[in-house]
Amino acid sequence: MLKVDQLVKKFGGMTALGGVSLTLPDQSILGLLGMNGSGKTTMLNCINGLYEATSGEITLDGVSLIGKSPHAVFSEGVGRTFQVPRVFHQMSLLENLSVALLNKGLSNAEVAEISAHWLNKVELYRLRHNYAEELSGGQQKLLELARIMVANPKLVLLDEPFAGVNPGLALLLIRIIREMPKEVGCSVLLVSHDLTSVYELSDNILVMHEGKVLAEGSAEVIQSNPDVIEAYLGA
Amino acid sequence: MTDEVKEVRDGEVVPAPASQGNIEKSNHIRSLIWGAVVAVIIAVFLPAPLFASNLSFLFYMMLWLTMAMSFNFVAGMAGYMPFGYVAFYGVGAYAMGVLYKTFGMPIPIALAGSAAAGILVGLLVAPTLRLKGVYFGIVSLALAMAMKLVISLMPRDITGGSLGLILSSANDPLAAYYAMFLVMMGALAAGTWLSMSRLGTALRAIRDDSEAAEVVGVNVVATRLKAWIMATMFPALVGGVEAWYTNAIDLDSSFNLLVTAKSIVYAMAGGLGFLVGPIVGASALYGIDQLIWRNFPTLNLLILGVVIIALMLLLPRGIVGAFAQRFSRFRRFIP
Repeated sequence: MLKVDQLVKKFGGMTALGGVSLTLPDQSILGLLGMNGSGKTTMLNCINGLYEATSGEITLDGVSLIGKSPHAVFSEGVGRTFQVPRVFHQMSLLENLSVALLNKGLSNAEVAEISAHWLNKVELYRLRHNYAEELSGGQQKLLELARIMVANPKLVLLDEPFAGVNPGLALLLIRIIREMPKEVGCSVLLVSHDLTSVYELSDNILVMHEGKVLAEGSAEVIQSNPDVIEAYLGA
Repeated sequence: MTDEVKEVRDGEVVPAPASQGNIEKSNHIRSLIWGAVVAVIIAVFLPAPLFASNLSFLFYMMLWLTMAMSFNFVAGMAGYMPFGYVAFYGVGAYAMGVLYKTFGMPIPIALAGSAAAGILVGLLVAPTLRLKGVYFGIVSLALAMAMKLVISLMPRDITGGSLGLILSSANDPLAAYYAMFLVMMGALAAGTWLSMSRLGTALRAIRDDSEAAEVVGVNVVATRLKAWIMATMFPALVGGVEAWYTNAIDLDSSFNLLVTAKSIVYAMAGGLGFLVGPIVGASALYGIDQLIWRNFPTLNLLILGVVIIALMLLLPRGIVGAFAQRFSRFRRFIP
């Protein structure tokens, strides 16, 4: 279970996160909505160690993630994707996936088997020997997702997974994300502006506004919340 | 090759147990190709002194092969561009000269001292590995200038001052030739291990995107440090052996920025990130360089510059990189 308690992140005089708290139970999906600049990506960056939190606590299954470097957070079971996919461009798809398994103590055969499974899953297996840069933007998002899933994470942070993805690949992504909690046993923190997908996938939704939590609840609750309608959804 | 395609069809994931066999076959073929390349290198350079009239050409060919290969460790695999790479070459040359001439050490110990000096300087500047891109390049360039200055300020009876050191009593070109051969074989072995090891995979990930590598579990600082140490040892050894071969060491030659420039160009011309890239690049360009030098001695640098510009424009990923991109299905066989 992920627990974020009174998380504060300041950049100089600007407060990006002003005491955010959330709980993400095991094997569930939490949608994170909010305007640009509301602190969603900053939250992900604090959880996975790219940013050092100014104050507050983040724990995963009781283990504090505060002060840990991104590679140490990854070894605690946290994987993440980026708004703009960041694959290893001059490495093959298979090599991309093998990077996430380097410190798992697996044999080459095991690495190949797990990689083949996830490349199949994201429908990129036939391109496994191609350079990652030869993929389209949407395919790179799928590869990035597969790259963290091979490591069997406890928590997956997805930053705008549907942005710039064509409808066909978006449907595939939705299907994979929906299956992830049951198939892998992970929980998912999903940041997206794609309201339909967030409503469809999330067990619970949290709306952020100017670095603070504006509302939290099911899709129905969020859609009918007057504060959310005024600040984010519009009339 | 029966590289069977398996993928998701109608929403059903088709398991791919045969993929492991394909990957092993690819690895096997890649190893065979690399083995053949190494065998050719040994076959050319090992017996050459028995037949060749121009030992110097082969000696310097080995020198540039080694420099380009070791440059590939840090640039092609870790993504650093150390413009001051000559610093390690120069320090190695002076360490060898000082240990041999000033302190009377035997040549093998003096050469071990070259390697140690290169590693020591590499460790001293290791904190700069936090820098990225052009910032690291500029700091490494400053390092080369600083090392040259430090040596020039050392007592004349140790480093020979502006006149440098003459090692005429060490004169043994054949032994120096085989010393360079051993250094080159060491670089080949290191490259082989690096490219096939998990460290090599981590380095290539860092080269492409260090932050993304960190996020998927790569300890970027520790990984870069390992490659850096390896990449500092070989140019220092090359500098030491070259000093032995020529019997002369001076500041301008030992810290000549052309050494860095040629290492970069040769490695890039072949294709950074591939084991065979620097070998192809150094062999091709050094051969062309010598050909131009013999036929157009006054226009040598101009023509070579045009050849390099054309190569970079037409094949920005180098000869091997361009082949790998054009024929991506064969990429997995390229060491």
